Amino acid sequence: MTALTFLLRRLGLSVFVFIGVLVLTFFVSRVIPGNPAALYAGARPRPEQVAAIKVKLGLDKPLPEQFLVYVRDLLDGDLGESYHSRRSINTDLSIFLPATLELVIAAVIIALILGIPVGVLAGAYPGSVFDYATRLAAVAGVSVPSFWLALIAQFVFFSTLGWLPLGGRVSRDISLFYPIAAQTGFYIIDAAISSNWRAFFDALHHLILPALVLSAYPLGITIRMTQASMLEVLSETYITSARAAGISQRVILFKLALKNAIMPALTVVGLSFAYSITGAFLVETIFSWPGVGKYVTEAVLNVDFPVIIAVTLVVTIVYILVNLFVDLLQALLDPRVRLG
Amino acid sequence: MALLSIENLTVEFNTPFGAVYAIRGIDFTLRKGEILGLVGETGCGKSVTGRSIIGLLDDNARITAGRILFEDVDLLRLSDAAMHEVRGNRIAMIFQDPATALNPLFTIGAQIMDVLRAHRPAKRGDLKTDAMSLFADVGLPDPAQMMHVYPHQLSGGQQQRAMIALSLAAEPDVIIADEPTTALDVTIQAQILDLLRVLQRERSISVILITHDLGIVAETCQQVVVLYAGRVAEKGAVEAIFAAPQHPYTRGLLAALPRPGSRGSDLQVIAGAVPSGLERIAGCAFAPRCEYVMEICRGQQPAFSDIKQAHQSACHLHETFADA
Repeated sequence: MTALTFLLRRLGLSVFVFIGVLVLTFFVSRVIPGNPAALYAGARPRPEQVAAIKVKLGLDKPLPEQFLVYVRDLLDGDLGESYHSRRSINTDLSIFLPATLELVIAAVIIALILGIPVGVLAGAYPGSVFDYATRLAAVAGVSVPSFWLALIAQFVFFSTLGWLPLGGRVSRDISLFYPIAAQTGFYIIDAAISSNWRAFFDALHHLILPALVLSAYPLGITIRMTQASMLEVLSETYITSARAAGISQRVILFKLALKNAIMPALTVVGLSFAYSITGAFLVETIFSWPGVGKYVTEAVLNVDFPVIIAVTLVVTIVYILVNLFVDLLQALLDPRVRLG
Repeated sequence: MALLSIENLTVEFNTPFGAVYAIRGIDFTLRKGEILGLVGETGCGKSVTGRSIIGLLDDNARITAGRILFEDVDLLRLSDAAMHEVRGNRIAMIFQDPATALNPLFTIGAQIMDVLRAHRPAKRGDLKTDAMSLFADVGLPDPAQMMHVYPHQLSGGQQQRAMIALSLAAEPDVIIADEPTTALDVTIQAQILDLLRVLQRERSISVILITHDLGIVAETCQQVVVLYAGRVAEKGAVEAIFAAPQHPYTRGLLAALPRPGSRGSDLQVIAGAVPSGLERIAGCAFAPRCEYVMEICRGQQPAFSDIKQAHQSACHLHETFADA
C-alpha cells in the first residue's frame, strides 16, 4: 500500500469521525438548558422579540430539520454566527485560530528542539546528576500550573528584567506604523513575507514568553518519553553491536538509537498539540493573546453554542490531521510499519 | 604467535542477591589466524568472556582481576578512547541473533557505511563501493540492492552474513563470534561456519567462536577451551581433546553427544546441576557431579597440567587418564 492510498483511506475514515463529532456536539448543545434566542436578543428582551428571533434563527423548527440546515451551511463553508456578539464565526476564527496555531506550534517546536536532545542525554547516562536534574525539570514542567508559570515569567522577564513584553501579539506602535499585511494570519510569517522586519522581530518578541510557558508541558513530556524510550533502546543488541563495531557515541545516540526512540515522544506531543488549541486559554488570557482558547471560553460561559460547535469541529479536524501526520511520520521512520 | 592472551580473568556481577561470580579466573591464548572454540553450558561464562575482551560488559559487571593482552597491551588498562579505537578496528564481534543485532530502522547499506565512516573517513562514493564489495565477500546476493534493503527483508542466514560484513568492515584482526549460528537453521549454520572458515583462511583473521555445540567446534576450530562454571576445565588442540578428553567434564560432554547407531538407547547425561554463580567454590567446580571425585577435589582447586604439548586439563586425576 502506498502512502497516497493510505492517506486517502485514512481521510475517508476520518470523515466518519468528523460526522460523529458533529452529530454529538450539535444535539448535546441543543438539549442542554439555556435560551439561545434570548441570548441573541440581548439585554432584557420582550417575549415577542424572543419569539421572533426564535423563528428567525429557525429554533422553532424540529431538531432534525435544524441539523440539516446547519449541515447545509457547513457544506457551504459557513460556520454560522455567534448568538452573543452576532459576529460571523468564520471571521472570528480566521483571526483567533492562526493566533493560537502560531503560539502552539512555537511551543511544540521549543519542546521538541530542547526536549529531544535533553531526553537523549538523560537516557544515555542514567543515574547521572544530569539525569536527575532533567527528571526534576520534566516533572516540574508537566505539573506546575501554566498560569503560575505565566505570572512568574511575566514577573521575571517583564517586571524585573524588562527584556520581553507583557502580552499581546504586537506592540501598539508597530501595529500603527508598521501594520502587518494579513495573509496567513500567522504574524511572523506574514511579516516575513512582506519583509516587514520591524514587525517580524516585534511579533517574535511577543511570542517568546507565552510560547515558552506553553511549552513547559510538552517539553516535560518530550524529555520523559525520550529518556524512557532511549533507556530501552540503548539496551538492545543492535546498539551493543554498533558499539562493538566502533561507532562513536554521538552517532549511536543521536542517529542509531534516537531514530528508534523518538516515536513515543512524537505521538504524545502530537496529542498535546491538539489539546493545546483549546487548552491554552489560561496562557492566552494572561498574555492577552487573542486565541481560540479565550474565544471558546467566553462562548462556553455564554452558552453561545454555534461558537462551541464550530470550535469543537475545528479542534476535531486538528486532532485528525495531527494523528494522520504522526502516523505518516512513523511509517516514514520505520520500514516495518505497514500502512493500512 | 599469541595474538590475544587472557590471564586469570575474573568477572563478577552485582545483583540484588549478592555478587555473582561469572568468571572465576580463566586463562587461554588465541594465536594469529586460528579459530578457537569457547565451549560450555549456558552460564559458564563464555559470552561474558567475549564481552570482556571487547570491553562491552553490562554496567553491573566488574572485572576484579586478570589481564587481557592484545599484542602485549592490556586492554583492561586502556582508556575509553583507546578502547574505542580497538573496537571494530582490531577486534569485532558478531552476535547470536542477527535479527536483533541489526538496527531495524536503517538499511543494511546505511549500517555498513556507518561502520566504514567511523574507521576511515572517505568520500561517499568510495564507501559505497567498499560496502558493496564487502557484501559480495560474505556471499550476499545482489550487493547493489543490499544497499537499500532493511534487515527484516532478509532471511536469517542473509542477516547473519550482513552482520559478518559489518564486522569485517574495519578489517579487524580478531572476530568474536558469540553463538553465531544458534538462531539459524542447520543448513544455514553450515554455510555461515563455512564463511567464517573462508574468512579466517583468506584474511588470516583470528576467530573466537563461542558455542555450546561440540559438533561445531569439531568441524570449525583448531583450538578449544572448555569452560565449566566460570573456569577452564580443559583446553588444547581440537584433535587432541576430541581423541582423548582428559577432564571428566569434557568426557561427559562428549559421551552425551548422540551418535548415529545409538538410536533407541538412552541419551547419556551428566548427573547433577551446574553450581550457582552465587557460590564460592573452594575445590574443583565439577567435583559435585564428577564420578571420579576424590577427597582432594573438594578442598583444592586443581592446577593445569600438561597432558601433552598443547593440551591441558585442570583435574587432579589427569595422570590416571593419561595412563589409561
